[in-house]
Amino acid sequence: MSEELYKEMAQSIIDGDSDIAIELAKRSIELNMHPLETITKGFVIGVNYIGDQFGLGEAFLPELVMAGEAMKAAVAVLEPELLKLGEAREMLGKVVLATVEGDIHEIGKTLVGTMLSASGFEVVDLGVDQPSEKIIGKALEINADIIGMSALLTTTMVRQREVIEELDKEGLRPRIKVMVGGAPITRDWVTKIKADGYSEDAIGAVKIAKDLVGKGDQ
Amino acid sequence: MEPLKFLSDEDVKAMHEATLHIMSEVGLIWTHKSSLDILLGAGCTIKNNRVCMPRDLVEDCIAKANKRPVIRGRNGQVNELGGGNLYFHNLGGARDVFDAKTGTRRIATDQDVINATRVLDALPNCHTVTPFFTPQDVPGELMSLFMYRHSIPHTVKPLQGPGIQFAEEVKYAVEMAHVIGTPANELTLSLSPVSPLTIHDPAAAAIVEMAKAGVICANLPAPTGGATSPMTITGSLVQQSAETLALLVLAQIVNPGCGIVYCGRLGMLEPRTGLIWGGVELGMSSAATVQLGHYYGFSVNVYGFSTNAHTLDAQNAFERGLNASIPALAGADELSGIGEMEAGVMGSYAQMVLDNELVGSVMRLRKGLSADSAHLAVDIIENVMNGTRNFLGQRHTLNHLKAGEIALTKLAERNSWETWEDKLDRKQMADYAANEAERILREHQVPPLEPQQEKELDRIMAAAEKEMVRKK
Repeated sequence: MSEELYKEMAQSIIDGDSDIAIELAKRSIELNMHPLETITKGFVIGVNYIGDQFGLGEAFLPELVMAGEAMKAAVAVLEPELLKLGEAREMLGKVVLATVEGDIHEIGKTLVGTMLSASGFEVVDLGVDQPSEKIIGKALEINADIIGMSALLTTTMVRQREVIEELDKEGLRPRIKVMVGGAPITRDWVTKIKADGYSEDAIGAVKIAKDLVGKGDQ
Repeated sequence: MEPLKFLSDEDVKAMHEATLHIMSEVGLIWTHKSSLDILLGAGCTIKNNRVCMPRDLVEDCIAKANKRPVIRGRNGQVNELGGGNLYFHNLGGARDVFDAKTGTRRIATDQDVINATRVLDALPNCHTVTPFFTPQDVPGELMSLFMYRHSIPHTVKPLQGPGIQFAEEVKYAVEMAHVIGTPANELTLSLSPVSPLTIHDPAAAAIVEMAKAGVICANLPAPTGGATSPMTITGSLVQQSAETLALLVLAQIVNPGCGIVYCGRLGMLEPRTGLIWGGVELGMSSAATVQLGHYYGFSVNVYGFSTNAHTLDAQNAFERGLNASIPALAGADELSGIGEMEAGVMGSYAQMVLDNELVGSVMRLRKGLSADSAHLAVDIIENVMNGTRNFLGQRHTLNHLKAGEIALTKLAERNSWETWEDKLDRKQMADYAANEAERILREHQVPPLEPQQEKELDRIMAAAEKEMVRKK
């Protein structure tokens, strides 16, 4: 019975159908299924599948976004149940995300945020045009494991280095790891500014984030 | 020749109506207080926290704009935009340099800003120069001005201002243009709104400054179809038009009659990699942008040479060939992209030289065919049939060869296999282009500025740095 439901749950994520995902999450509660198992054995399977398909070039970005949204919707239904049980989904780590100062592009960053939270990270997305003090301040406030910074423009990517220099100055690394991303970001740039990781896409970003918090096997 | 049309007259009207509907009913996100007050004073309203621009105001502002601005070079060369000519310029704002000889890339340096300008100055088919590379060691706030400052001494051609981001940049760019005798109304500056339909505060402030200074606004909306605009190309073009016209409305209220170039930089999303797509849809959307801009009477500047390719390979050649030809045939007034690679993040000197050659073919294509009596050549055919039965020795042949009936290129390989293998060492067009770029860098001389002018530019940059670079 629940096996079948798990399959449907995974499929609802693969289809990016938030309505059905919510419906299935509600049904699992009625059936007294354990919310944590619903997430890990049902919905997460769908997220992983679509991520793998994307990695193979078989799934498109819009499918990734819609899968992430459906995952968020399902988890939002299940989280209050977890709290009632006095449990919480074990989070892989805390991430502060932002687009750097002077840059107001956010689609890529938002997608990374969606995939990170769908994969089990706690994500605080500060939005766009964020100065280094705000990014670092928030990271300290929530005791973040990772700061993720995006920049779309060749003229604003230089700001990523400012944040890293600031972190170094304050002695906050290696405690806080830094991931960077954005269209102009290259491996050489990442090496040059001494960031801890980067990825070309949101699925890669999840993998990097897991590696950075020492949970690469999950 | 008749311009190539992807859209019927009814289609264009429907897109115009859709644009006005978006502007007047959906509105744009606009939070910059003082410019917002200007708009509200002119009859705009706020709905759902977005500014809506009434149809009459939009049409009135379109009518007021100077649609035929000119840009001028130090050498006196004048590009009259919208006068029926097609002008090519290069890509602006590339991060990396592709080395065609080694097949590797490297990060652009200060020297590349200078070298690119010199190479473009030397290439006859590059009609307007735009600052090319973005060296990473320059502070972000100063990048555009730095690029402009170091381009000025190295070309005598019309030099387009850089893409800017902040209001403060405007006065320094205008001052620098003044140093070489370019008045503000012959300087173009560009900025990009944020898609979808968002005019962020620095952009709004900058437009006010641009309009006050009287510079030509060549703003560059750059939506990505499927991500920041609809997946459908005509829908994306409507949104793009609303974005560029919204900036125009503000500029025309602040300074009625200031110069406008209608630009489009719509790219499509590559749905697997998330990058901007250099496929043939780019050429199609550029051509349709030309049609829409011409409907209003603007001169239109769109993407031309454009590819996702990382080397000078087959993909590169067919993508850029199509993407430049299609809008050229649609009647584009300016096409960008000379030297562009990898969807605009990379450029190369060899590519600039190749594109210079390609422009020749695109221009030939655009010239079309003539069927007047000189071209139909009935009397020539008769003469030849009565005589040698051979056209090689005809004056008509030589005259029309010299008049450009076929576009000859210097770099394309057009020899036999034997010659190519035995004498030319199997060299290809890209090899010749790389050599030619090196030759230009070695030999090309650009008349220098007066020492006083150099000093003045340095003074302006120092003032800009003082005002704009955040103190740590």
